[in-house]
Amino acid sequence: MAEAIRYSRTALSTRTDGPRTRVTLRALSMLLAYIMLQPSATYADAAFIQNGNAGFVVSHIAYALAGDAPESIACPQGMSLSVQDIFAQTAKGKRLPQESDDDYAARLRDGGKVYSTAPDGQNLCTNPEAGKPDPNYRTVHVSTMPVAGIDLDAGRAPAANSCAHQDFTGRNGEPGIDNQFYRVVGCTRSFQPTGQSNGFDIEMLTGSWGILIALAGVDDIVNDDSVEVSFFANADPIQLSPTRDPLAYATYLVDPDPDFQAHARGRIENGILTTEPTDVQFHHVVNSMYLVRPLRDARLHATLSRDGVLEGYLAGYTPVEAMYDFQYGYRSGKTRTGELAPDKLRAGSANGAAYVLGHTCNGVYYALYEHADGHPDPATGKCTSISTQYAIKAIPAFVIEDAAHTIQGNPVAEHADAR
Amino acid sequence: MRDNWIHAAPLRAVARACALTLAACALLPFGLAGCDKHGETHAEPEPVGGPTVLRRLTESQYRATVADIFGPDIPVPARFERGLRVDGLLAIGSSESGMSPFSIEQYDAAALSIATTVLGVDKRDTYLSCAPASTDTFAEDCARQFVQRYGLQLWRRPLADAEVNALVDAARRGHAQLGDFYAGLKYALVGMMVAPEFLLRIETTEADAQHPGLLQLDAFAKATRLSYFLTNSTPDQELLRAADAGELDTDAGLSRQVDRLIASPRFAGAVRAYFEDMLQFDLFNDLAKDPIIYPAFNSTLAADAQEQTLRTITELLIDQDGDYRNLFTTRDAWLTRALGIAYRVPVATRNGWEKAQFAGDSTRIGIQAHIAFLALHAHPGRSSPSLRGKAIREVFLCQEVPPPPPNVNFSVVQDPSSTNLPTARDRLEIHRTEPSCAGCHRIMDPLGLALENFDGLGTFRTVENAALIDASGALDGVEFSNAAGLAQALHSHPETPRCLVEKMYRFAVGRDTAWDERAYMDYLTEAFTVGGYRVPQLMRTIALSKNFFAIATPEEGGDGHQLANLATANGAQP
Repeated sequence: MAEAIRYSRTALSTRTDGPRTRVTLRALSMLLAYIMLQPSATYADAAFIQNGNAGFVVSHIAYALAGDAPESIACPQGMSLSVQDIFAQTAKGKRLPQESDDDYAARLRDGGKVYSTAPDGQNLCTNPEAGKPDPNYRTVHVSTMPVAGIDLDAGRAPAANSCAHQDFTGRNGEPGIDNQFYRVVGCTRSFQPTGQSNGFDIEMLTGSWGILIALAGVDDIVNDDSVEVSFFANADPIQLSPTRDPLAYATYLVDPDPDFQAHARGRIENGILTTEPTDVQFHHVVNSMYLVRPLRDARLHATLSRDGVLEGYLAGYTPVEAMYDFQYGYRSGKTRTGELAPDKLRAGSANGAAYVLGHTCNGVYYALYEHADGHPDPATGKCTSISTQYAIKAIPAFVIEDAAHTIQGNPVAEHADAR
Repeated sequence: MRDNWIHAAPLRAVARACALTLAACALLPFGLAGCDKHGETHAEPEPVGGPTVLRRLTESQYRATVADIFGPDIPVPARFERGLRVDGLLAIGSSESGMSPFSIEQYDAAALSIATTVLGVDKRDTYLSCAPASTDTFAEDCARQFVQRYGLQLWRRPLADAEVNALVDAARRGHAQLGDFYAGLKYALVGMMVAPEFLLRIETTEADAQHPGLLQLDAFAKATRLSYFLTNSTPDQELLRAADAGELDTDAGLSRQVDRLIASPRFAGAVRAYFEDMLQFDLFNDLAKDPIIYPAFNSTLAADAQEQTLRTITELLIDQDGDYRNLFTTRDAWLTRALGIAYRVPVATRNGWEKAQFAGDSTRIGIQAHIAFLALHAHPGRSSPSLRGKAIREVFLCQEVPPPPPNVNFSVVQDPSSTNLPTARDRLEIHRTEPSCAGCHRIMDPLGLALENFDGLGTFRTVENAALIDASGALDGVEFSNAAGLAQALHSHPETPRCLVEKMYRFAVGRDTAWDERAYMDYLTEAFTVGGYRVPQLMRTIALSKNFFAIATPEEGGDGHQLANLATANGAQP
């Protein structure tokens, strides 16, 4: 931290030292005043930190993936097919002469049903294990394209807590990027950079769920070898501006459920905050069904800016069954009051999603297990979780852990706008 | 304000003399130097009064009146025409503005809606103690009873027989057309609510026996002036009874009613109405901020910001019976979550208010450092030391700042991103080199620059364009280094209490002060000072003063008498 300010002062001095620089008395006095009035503690008193504490609300979150698959070598066999796409490739699925768009779409929907139903009649979205791996569900097998994320298993033997897999190279050439979820979804239409499935934070911005991060014990936002980092589900809807952008310095209460709270030791090095692994989970809402988004051995790796913006990756391992549930099958979807959501809603949403987003439920289910690389089952050795990387951005917020702890009657210190 | 500007110098001289007298009061034993033995003020000078005025109900008065008469759950679905601000107050504008066709339409729509609700199946039994044998028959006695009861409350005086007959006849004709008693009665109620007698506060006069040559408001006009001054609403049943019984014409009776109204919960509404007017909160209706620069600004914040200041005021002035001048130095912080975003402080309570204090080392002191004041007196995308300085002069010190001359070059001050001139102080310094601008900016800017640590929304900042902000300033010879110093300077400024007194009186009577009322203003200011700058006490003093109800004769006070005669000629009781 001290380094940064020393650099700043040197730069100023240099600008005034040039032989052609005309240093007027006024400019010199302004410069001296500037230097004298600079906070001596450098970045330790960044506006978003008070008494070593800082809070953040996640303002953007998306899966960290790779570039557009059709423009790369990621999917040489093409993109995954939905059940309708599969039916359309059959003789019965060809468009009939004079058949209208609506009629053809209706026939494709009906025809596709056979591919979403197991031989025993079970729906494959609610019972994907009743089906088989789907050859029409394509995944990424090459590793030559840059993929976003961080190294999750650096320095550990694959056998210890993961299964054999091939790492990617990061966008800036970093080795060892663990992002097996990208392999699963990289050839699915909806997971392309602008795809619908990667815009799941729309629900966050409408207030259905949210994520809070809190730091404690921060002495220096550039280099600090020990900070406490907490992750919480947000109990309040995110506050937005009239232009629908998340607002900084809003107050949020944390979800009091301890299952949605996690803590980890972290460090800041050259302005980058990293944490030790910890298990976290957040809420997720689809079609008014309440789901859980867990991430085991989650690590934060993010740049902490002078303005209090935290930007980087939250990465870890998602249990395959949970990933299938909150992202595809909604089998565990609950109502607001905690009961299991109606079968029709869960099955209808899962089948509808498969149709719209371009996958088969059994295809994605088996692909998740095929590429799973974390938490091997001690009995079978089969991995049960898959490395998952989220790109996140968080902005300053007041994170309140105890709802009863109000400012009522107490002095409050304002955070200055340092723009 | 116009008059005040003209004779500001003599008034200031009087104020200084009064201040000296008060200092003497403090230093000398009781009973000396013009103070009585309890440190009280001189007696009220002989009343001189002013003209009567026709004052249109403001929107808040209209809504409060309907709520008080028919209940708070009666919706008033209307958009009211904006008020006219004259001499710094909408209260004065309410006696000078006209009534447009748009207003009439809105009043008509509101009256129809209110009458439909009041006489609807669900509510009618609440308001009528009688009923027709069947709805298709016209019960004249019942209609008459309704008209007399609500006519008294809506027109704030008993109705003449001819007026009652006309309204009952309207109900009868409505029944004949529509075949329903309540549908007919609805038109009598609408008729009362769109009448000038309801929409305008018509002041009627009578001879003042104790002060020959002067008139005074009659009993019901007194009740109306008292009620709107002390509750911002219509006279309640007890006040109307007292007026009818002649009690408002006696000192004891008047005092009893004034004390009752000040002690009532409705008194806070009057204090809020005054400060909403004085602080120009109506301008929030037109306030816009650049959403990119100030994303936290929205309608919720605007409403909460006003409420924050009003809560601070009513709590300090009423609940704590505090010194008015402490409004400029209070650190009390009523906060909601929306305000917490703008102030950048945590507010745990989800839907409601928390009261805290801005930290002791903060320069966020006084209502002039609230977001309501700072955001209102700034530009959409930047702060404005000039607008803020001008507002402090005009709102809190009653000092008029002339408008800018035409053809001023604003280009320098309108470029807030200038790297050569990073702060508002830098830009204004260049701007002030134009001689035509220098004079006024010298009056405004030193005040507003002290608030430069608050951006165009009111959020605290230490830098602008990466340059440290110098928030030093001065007020009439008192220099300070930041907003905390400005707060103290405002607290101690001799014009601060006098300005409040004058504005409060003008608010109460709906007109500017007359030249002959200078001694009365001195009397009020002295009483306010001796009373410890307590606003409820000031309002009590005004309400109990002879001058409050005194009306100058046409020769003395202009055309006021003519207005009173007009009102009488139109059917109002003398």
